[in-house]
Amino acid sequence: MFQIKWLWKNLEGYRAVYICALIMTVIRQSMYIITPHYSSRIVDEYIYGEAAAENLAANPKGLIWLVAAMIGFTVLRTIITYTSGLCYEKASQGIVYRVRNHLFANVQRQDSEFFDKNRTGDLMTRISGDLDMVRHTIAWIIKAILECIVLYTASVFFFFSIDWLMALCMMALTPVIFAITMRLRKVMGPKYVVQREKLSGLNTAAEENISGNRVVKAFAREDFEQDKFDKLNKEYSDANKTTSLTWLKYYPFIEITAQGLAVVQLLAGGLFVIGGRITVGEYTAFSGLIWTMSNPMRMLGSIINDLERFVASLNKIIEIYYASPLITDRADAAEHPERLRGEIEFKNVSFSYDKKNPVLKSISFKIAPGETVAIMGPTGSGKTTLVNMISRTYDPDEGRILADGIDLRMMKLHELRRNIGEAQQDVLLFSDTIEGNIAFGRSDMPEEEVYKFAGLAAADGFIKETSDGYDTIIGERGVGLSGGQKQRISLARALAVRPAVLILDDTTSAVDMETERYIQNSLENLDFECTKIIIAQRISSAKNADKIIILKDGKIADIGTHKELTEREGYYKEVYDLQK
Amino acid sequence: MARNKFDIDETLETPFDIRHFARALKYVGRYKKQVVTAMIVSVTAAVIGLCSPLITQYALDVTIPAGDRRGVLLLSGLLLLSIIAGICFSVLSSRIMTKAGQNMIYDIRRDLFEHLQKLPFEYYDSRPHGKILTRVINYVNSVADLLSNGLITFVLEIFNIIFIMIFMFAVSPRLAPVVLAGVPFFAAFMIAIKKAQRRAWQRVSNKSSNLNAYLHEGLVGVSITRSFVREEENEEIFDRLAVEYRKAWMRAIYFSQAVWPVADIISICVSSAIYLVGLMIVAPEAGITVGTIVAMTGYAGRFWQPIMNLSQLYNTFVNTIAYLERIFETMDEPVTVTDKENAAEMPEIKGDVSFKNVTFAYEEGANVLENLSFDVKAGQSIALVGPTGAGKTTIVNLISRFYNVNGGQVLIDGKDITDFTLKSLRSQMGIMLQDSVIFSGTIKENILYGRPGATDEEVRQACHVVGADEFINEMPGGFDTEVNERGASLSQGQRQMIAFARTILADPKILVLDEATSSIDAKTERFIQSGIDHLLHGRTSFIIAHRLSTIRSCDKIMYISEKGISECGTHDELMEKKGLYYKLCMAQSV
Repeated sequence: MFQIKWLWKNLEGYRAVYICALIMTVIRQSMYIITPHYSSRIVDEYIYGEAAAENLAANPKGLIWLVAAMIGFTVLRTIITYTSGLCYEKASQGIVYRVRNHLFANVQRQDSEFFDKNRTGDLMTRISGDLDMVRHTIAWIIKAILECIVLYTASVFFFFSIDWLMALCMMALTPVIFAITMRLRKVMGPKYVVQREKLSGLNTAAEENISGNRVVKAFAREDFEQDKFDKLNKEYSDANKTTSLTWLKYYPFIEITAQGLAVVQLLAGGLFVIGGRITVGEYTAFSGLIWTMSNPMRMLGSIINDLERFVASLNKIIEIYYASPLITDRADAAEHPERLRGEIEFKNVSFSYDKKNPVLKSISFKIAPGETVAIMGPTGSGKTTLVNMISRTYDPDEGRILADGIDLRMMKLHELRRNIGEAQQDVLLFSDTIEGNIAFGRSDMPEEEVYKFAGLAAADGFIKETSDGYDTIIGERGVGLSGGQKQRISLARALAVRPAVLILDDTTSAVDMETERYIQNSLENLDFECTKIIIAQRISSAKNADKIIILKDGKIADIGTHKELTEREGYYKEVYDLQK
Repeated sequence: MARNKFDIDETLETPFDIRHFARALKYVGRYKKQVVTAMIVSVTAAVIGLCSPLITQYALDVTIPAGDRRGVLLLSGLLLLSIIAGICFSVLSSRIMTKAGQNMIYDIRRDLFEHLQKLPFEYYDSRPHGKILTRVINYVNSVADLLSNGLITFVLEIFNIIFIMIFMFAVSPRLAPVVLAGVPFFAAFMIAIKKAQRRAWQRVSNKSSNLNAYLHEGLVGVSITRSFVREEENEEIFDRLAVEYRKAWMRAIYFSQAVWPVADIISICVSSAIYLVGLMIVAPEAGITVGTIVAMTGYAGRFWQPIMNLSQLYNTFVNTIAYLERIFETMDEPVTVTDKENAAEMPEIKGDVSFKNVTFAYEEGANVLENLSFDVKAGQSIALVGPTGAGKTTIVNLISRFYNVNGGQVLIDGKDITDFTLKSLRSQMGIMLQDSVIFSGTIKENILYGRPGATDEEVRQACHVVGADEFINEMPGGFDTEVNERGASLSQGQRQMIAFARTILADPKILVLDEATSSIDAKTERFIQSGIDHLLHGRTSFIIAHRLSTIRSCDKIMYISEKGISECGTHDELMEKKGLYYKLCMAQSV
């Protein structure tokens, strides 16, 4: 029932179309039952009937009328078929469109925890393959159910109007079909769950292989990848076979029961005719309409089969349809439409990913608007985690983070994040033009500004040298560009939003010294006020900062200026000596 | 290279080609035995199916009028038997075809994937990965139905048509042509919509590919979206692509849905014609009995049913071909970097590396390297320094033959690398790339990627050398901790260490480190340095780095600028020279 409610809810905007389609289906099915009426009248009045020869001679026009009516009826029926077909498609595409957009939007709003749990390939499977089952349900399954109900009801009605005993005999097989399909339901469900799991696994393996194609080649591991893929391919193939073969186990019983109607008709009908209970004409009426009862019985199997498949898929869709991120706007979050000044304060902030092993421990510091702060420390000391918390990628377990004196959790997420420009360590560019990548955060940005920010990030030079300049399309994740080039585009992208707080996570690690110096110079002379937080490994990146924070094992080990830190023993001094 | 992005349709290089179909049949051909058996079995089932109406007709004509109760009983039994026999045969055929069909799909997908493994970097770099993924998963799935059921349906329906035609002509050679007269009309209709229909389905495949590509990038780049508050705009783009897809689909459906109604109308016209022609024109003079006319209308229905089924099959066919074309197009994608015909196995590499007048361009006309020549002796460590974009990564990529040179030669141990198999070459090299790709799986599996057969002890040792053992041991599951493509559980530096350990474990003869330690802190790097110093001993290594501390200890430093190798020598030599390298060092010293 939940499934039906869910479908109905998402059909919004297409409900009228869908109901029209369903009504047309009812009409069409009824017409299927009426059409034979004309052909039987033709047979009765002009061919077999006692007065057939006279009728033909006396009233040939009547025959032509009957034929015309038959054709007219069929034309009408096909028009309805076509129109209702399009309505079904419109409604099913409508619901899929709506759900897909919702899924995309909702997935985008999930926090990091969600993406730690769900692999890309699996999410792709849900939003493409599973969603197609929703389409199939609306476009086919429900329609088929309705067709069956109409046909079956009509046939029962007809049969009873001819002879009740005969009708009961014909109906005797129906419970058998129900018994079989109930069994079928129980068996098929779990099989489809397995089948779509295997598809998801296959999707994930292919996705990772394609994304990691460089590593595969670098280690000459094509054979290994092939084996891995073959195994999953085989498993998926086997799962498909299993579902089909299981279905084929039940199919004969369904089919025999449905076709068995003909036997019942022959046996019971034959005996009744001989016994004089029904006439030959009534017998042929039964045989002419037998399909109206046997088809629904036969269809019931495939319907149940598909329904189980739909349920397996829908459960997967529902999971992400209703997924809600932990980090979200609080109800009492106030509006702060104005630009932040850029003051950032951590007050006793502690955080852990797994609620067990703390990554940050009681971090406290304050950054004044416009200051430049460098964060240094050993690998895994929590630097990236720390800066991620400023944009509320994670919320602290303990303590508070304030921007301009306001607790981050009391701000609207989009208002907070709009104030932050981030160049992440793992540079992710999109397969779009260079211009499109730089203007990612502000796509209405005029071209000159794109050039300007590229210039500030020391990217203008090499961009101009690419084949199409700013219109050059770069590959997914920025492949084809060197590490330093990617970092500079990512920097331009972060600058382009004119952030109040600029976060550079190891953004110049692959850039040569000269370029780095150029970038530092442009950062010092930005035409907007901006607090800069820079994670760095190199002394050269950090030494000009107003303040350098040394992070070690999630704790602040030291804070000071370059001068102060080089004058006392500690991590900074050690690194300074190493790099001198 | 012309790159594709998510909202650009991929144009199809080849026009519709019946050879696509022939090629698809090759996959069917591998299961010739099963397919033929299934066909014979299903034809048998069809023949048995023809018995039922005969039985009921006999009952109606003879047994029932005669009041023969036992006869009715007997015929009912016979009918039941024939039904059961028919079903048994058709189930048998379905079982065979299910297995064969799934095997065909498996084969296609495997071949497609196998080819993808051979395709060079350029292929992957020039289109959104979501589009490639769509081909491997969604498109192949779309082909499944046609291959597993299509052929059988086709043969069966053809048989049906032939059978019924024989019956029709046997019953009435004069009325049979009336039934057939509908066929040309239907054929004309199908031909009329063929071209538009095909184009419509191609559009659908394109639009679904675009949508999936954007979806994929949206998922991969979600952290950027979040940080730039781009959600709403992305939704608009996604919405636009979804609307395009829906439009394309509806357009294709206009055609496909029309086929059935048209067939239906033609079929009913044929039946009507039989009544009219039979009763009013032919019957009176030719002595055609009423029984014949009734039989003929019955046959007309049965003749048109398979034709309508065939047209439905044709719909699926047109739709599927749009996907098949794409699949085969990918399979035909030229493998530019591949083994020569008589490529030999690369013997154990000693480690001499020479470039001889190497010229290389990613895109024609824009040479990245021009006439580059250098020699490196076995065991030397070489640092490549210089401005970003000058071609340092390109040089090391050429050593592993990720690209073919446009001119000149790359030699290892004095032998042209193109004379050897890629596998034997690359498996002796350890390349650590700028991107530290982590596959989903355990940490151990990720490190074992370098050399699957390695023992736990060797894995531990490799991790120790790069200083990764400490943080790995601190993780909840140690080496068996599950990590994934972009999980937050590992920092970038830690990912680099794992990738580094993976490279070391491979025990390469030539080691390439491309910014291998850029995200690792200076102290750890120093630790690694000491660890790999003895490891580097006896191996040729190429190191791209910006940090002086990494560079200084190398045997030879090459300064790469846009003009090629500008300076070459040891640290001390180059410092004395007071050239570009000197400037670089001075800039870095704080």
